[in-house]
Amino acid sequence: MSFTLTRSAAGFALLAALAAGCGSAAAAHHAAVPPKPAVTAPAAPPAAVTHHHHHHSRPAHPVVTTPPAPPASTAPAPAANPIPQGNGGDQDADNNGGPNDGDGNI
Amino acid sequence: MTARLTRRGRPALAAAAAMAIITITVVASAVAGRSPGGAFPPLRPAAAPAGWPHLTLPGGTAVLSYPPSLRPLAGDKAAVTAAQLSAGGRYQFYLNATPRQGTETLHGWAAFRLHHLLSDHAAAAHEVAAAQGVQFRGGTGSCVIDNYRTRIGAHHFQEIACLVQGHTSASVIVAAAPTATWAQARPLLFQAVGAYLVR
Repeated sequence: MSFTLTRSAAGFALLAALAAGCGSAAAAHHAAVPPKPAVTAPAAPPAAVTHHHHHHSRPAHPVVTTPPAPPASTAPAPAANPIPQGNGGDQDADNNGGPNDGDGNI
Repeated sequence: MTARLTRRGRPALAAAAAMAIITITVVASAVAGRSPGGAFPPLRPAAAPAGWPHLTLPGGTAVLSYPPSLRPLAGDKAAVTAAQLSAGGRYQFYLNATPRQGTETLHGWAAFRLHHLLSDHAAAAHEVAAAQGVQFRGGTGSCVIDNYRTRIGAHHFQEIACLVQGHTSASVIVAAAPTATWAQARPLLFQAVGAYLVR
């Protein structure tokens, strides 16, 4: 009876130690991210346009959050951009040094 | 014999249990250590204040509300944009809503956005925080807060970009400001994102 308990406890401890190893590895992976860049001014925008509608809806619940990394992961080298920069293509702000819009690069 | 083993076994059992507790504590600490900067800032879905204008995506699939200090800007035909500019024509606040166009999905949105920034016009991009299961008016989304440096002009922006899935469509809302003024701009930008309505 006592041997069984001891073996069970030892086995549990071994499993816990293995789990700790996995957790630490995951945390280390998340922490491996570089810091934020510095700061400068933004660019100028394209021309204006107007468009108005009104809608109302009930508020929903607050957010489910996931942990942020500290100023973080730098993605790899940029791929080719199908939209020319320097006011090329769609003349978006983001093709002129302005903020990036939400298009899917299509 | 049994009594002796039991007496010997009890300390071993206690030691193993203590070790397990310590190990679990270490694991929990390691997991919690993934977010030393704190949780993703709260984003509360709520109707826009009275007096905020609205821009509706083609087809009425989403409505972007923006503070009166911003004005609508031209952009992609399928998208809507509002921004506030400085006297020198620099962006101070930027809001954009665009129908989902690419292969972006709620899962992996943060990575998609960072990759997209770099493939589109950013020379560098860094994730600050990300969240999934974010509640929006009429839908659920995945969000990322990141900062980036543009290739043209080396301008630094910080943004919250969310892919939001409504009942009938998905779209992306972006709220950005110069990195230098992000802290001041964030409350208003988050209010606009929280007021985003999807269908």
